[in-house]
Amino acid sequence: MSDAAIRRPDQAVPHGTVWSRLSRHLTGWLFALPWLIIFAVFLLIPIVASLALSFTSFGLGNLRDWFSADFVGLDNYSKLLSDERFHKAARNTAVFVVVGVPLTIAFGLAAALGLNQAIGKLQSVFRVGYYLPVVTSIVAIAVIWRYLLNADFGLVNAALGLVGIEGPNWLGQKSTALASIIALGVWRNFGFDTVIFLAALQGINPVLYEAAKVDGATPWAMFWRVTLPLLRPTILFLAVITSVGYLQLFEEPFVMTGGGPLDSTLSVAMYVYEQGFRFLNLGYASAVAYALFIAIVALTFIQFRFLRGDEGA
Amino acid sequence: MKRSTFLAAVAATLVLLAGCGGDDGSSSGTGDGKASGEVTVWAMGTEGEKLGVLAKEFMAANPDIKVKVTPIAWDVAHDKLITAVAGNKTPDISQMGTTWMGEFAQTGSLEPVPDDIDTSQFFEGARDTAVVDGTTYGVPWYVETRLLYYRSDLAKKAGVTPPETWEDLKAAARAMKEKAGAKYGISLAPNNWQEFLPFVWQNGGDVIEDNEMTFDTPEVVEALDFYKSFFADGLTADSVPEGFDVTQGFIAGTHPMFFSGPWHMSLIEEQGGAKLKGKWDIAAMPEKETGTSFVGGSDLVVFNGSGNKEAAWAFVKYLLKPDVQRKWYETVSDLPAVQSAWDQGELASDPHLQLFGEQLKDAKSPPPIAKWEQIASEVVNAELEKATVGGASAEQAAKAMQEKASSIGAE
Repeated sequence: MSDAAIRRPDQAVPHGTVWSRLSRHLTGWLFALPWLIIFAVFLLIPIVASLALSFTSFGLGNLRDWFSADFVGLDNYSKLLSDERFHKAARNTAVFVVVGVPLTIAFGLAAALGLNQAIGKLQSVFRVGYYLPVVTSIVAIAVIWRYLLNADFGLVNAALGLVGIEGPNWLGQKSTALASIIALGVWRNFGFDTVIFLAALQGINPVLYEAAKVDGATPWAMFWRVTLPLLRPTILFLAVITSVGYLQLFEEPFVMTGGGPLDSTLSVAMYVYEQGFRFLNLGYASAVAYALFIAIVALTFIQFRFLRGDEGA
Repeated sequence: MKRSTFLAAVAATLVLLAGCGGDDGSSSGTGDGKASGEVTVWAMGTEGEKLGVLAKEFMAANPDIKVKVTPIAWDVAHDKLITAVAGNKTPDISQMGTTWMGEFAQTGSLEPVPDDIDTSQFFEGARDTAVVDGTTYGVPWYVETRLLYYRSDLAKKAGVTPPETWEDLKAAARAMKEKAGAKYGISLAPNNWQEFLPFVWQNGGDVIEDNEMTFDTPEVVEALDFYKSFFADGLTADSVPEGFDVTQGFIAGTHPMFFSGPWHMSLIEEQGGAKLKGKWDIAAMPEKETGTSFVGGSDLVVFNGSGNKEAAWAFVKYLLKPDVQRKWYETVSDLPAVQSAWDQGELASDPHLQLFGEQLKDAKSPPPIAKWEQIASEVVNAELEKATVGGASAEQAAKAMQEKASSIGAE
């Protein structure tokens, strides 16, 4: 069988010169050009440059003459292995992802299931309500939450005080600081998951539920056997998107705790910022950033593996 | 979370932006002896807004030189200066935070101060902020130092006088809490080197001598123990929320003592109003071996990339004249770094200001080494926090500070 035989029609064997092929696609390239230039200048070049930086000792003394930085091979990466603060940051970020992502998806799904039952105006009101935190500036939200969680005059502890509980110093002590940040992350982000789940739920063919009902399935069984399996691609999508976002945790601890107390809310992204922009250890910061990048790729890969199942993504 | 950005690109973006960014810092040099041409000055915050006033007067007296002031917000100033250095687009003159001096000297972009500027006219602690490895890279422009603010009404209620020694300070904090009923005795941060280092200096210690870290000395351990005891005894809050302003706590009486600089006088007057009038005062630092305080403020530097160094130094020299320093105090309330400027006017007559003037004679700055920012934050603040609220002993904290600071300093 010839190679051409299995090509789809739109990938027909190219005829003619390179030029004629190029001119055929020229309009397309021209339309894509503005984006391509921005992508190259602001993403591609920095990505490649930071990879190169991560193998050098680039720091303060090299700012004026960039090529004076020493090539140090994998030194920056091996330093990661013994850097206590990096380990702490990695642990905090991992906890944020492992606890935060399932919670966000669960809340998003619960809200979507509830909204799916509701009808008319009520649904849109709640949909907007849940989605509002997603589109609000994260810094503004974090500042407000900082006040809400304030130990002395915060609303949360005032409310707890009404029922006779003396609330903890949420952001000021090691045991509750990270949990508070997770709570904020979940609250802020589950609205996005809700909207996506809602769309997916409305895309499920009602015939399936009717058939299940005829077979005598309970609502619980319908959820487990019909709804959830059909939502699998959606869950995969949200798990990947949410994990990638959560791995880059930055603004919440930056605004609310500054990474403290005792580094208990320091995230990897914050550590990159600190090393790179405050201490100007740009070579090392690049290595930390690449470690984070590798973690994101690995996690995404694992999620695809586990959640793809039979249906595919 | 920035979902849309690749974090991996963060570090390199700086370098890239450095290539594109930077303000127009060019100037025309003449080099024919008589200073002339254009001089660009970067100044931060209030200084940036008001420096034009002095620049105008300078230009009236020196019609050949044109001074262009670019105001920069404090929160972006450090990044902007770093970017300027990386892109070789530095201004002729810049205001510079005293704790940044070591870092920028390390970049090799600062011009040494010429011999015809007499550096003995400045307060010693302020002058030292600009001396890196024996070379003076800048001049102090204005200074600030920290004193003890206390609620005099509560002190009276507690039966204490302004503390003169460490023991007094501890006793006063205890009395404020127990006898005067304040929530805390004093406000100290569990992780702020600027509040902690004065105790080390007061105890006759230091953190760096001859380029060697000296954290693991008995003086530092004792200072750590003393600092730690305020937390152990519940005399200060064990956490300071982000964005915390002690002024409100001071006015409410929950935080009846704290250490701060001159800016807090106007803050307390504005926010406390008539209600607090006559109910607070300031006092010199408590003494152990000495009563040393922290000195901060800003220096002025000339970049060696400047095409018009002569005119740049001419403007700097103008800003250092005692009467110009006094005028600057009247304009933006910045305390003069030049000692002789304190001989006249309000600076010589106001008792509060005189206290600051006196304290400035015994005030130190952190060592101007390139890695200070990292050592201060990653080592001193972090280990201090472990000692005050994290359960580590003073000995452990001092030892950890020594090890970590030495390894960062050696990089």
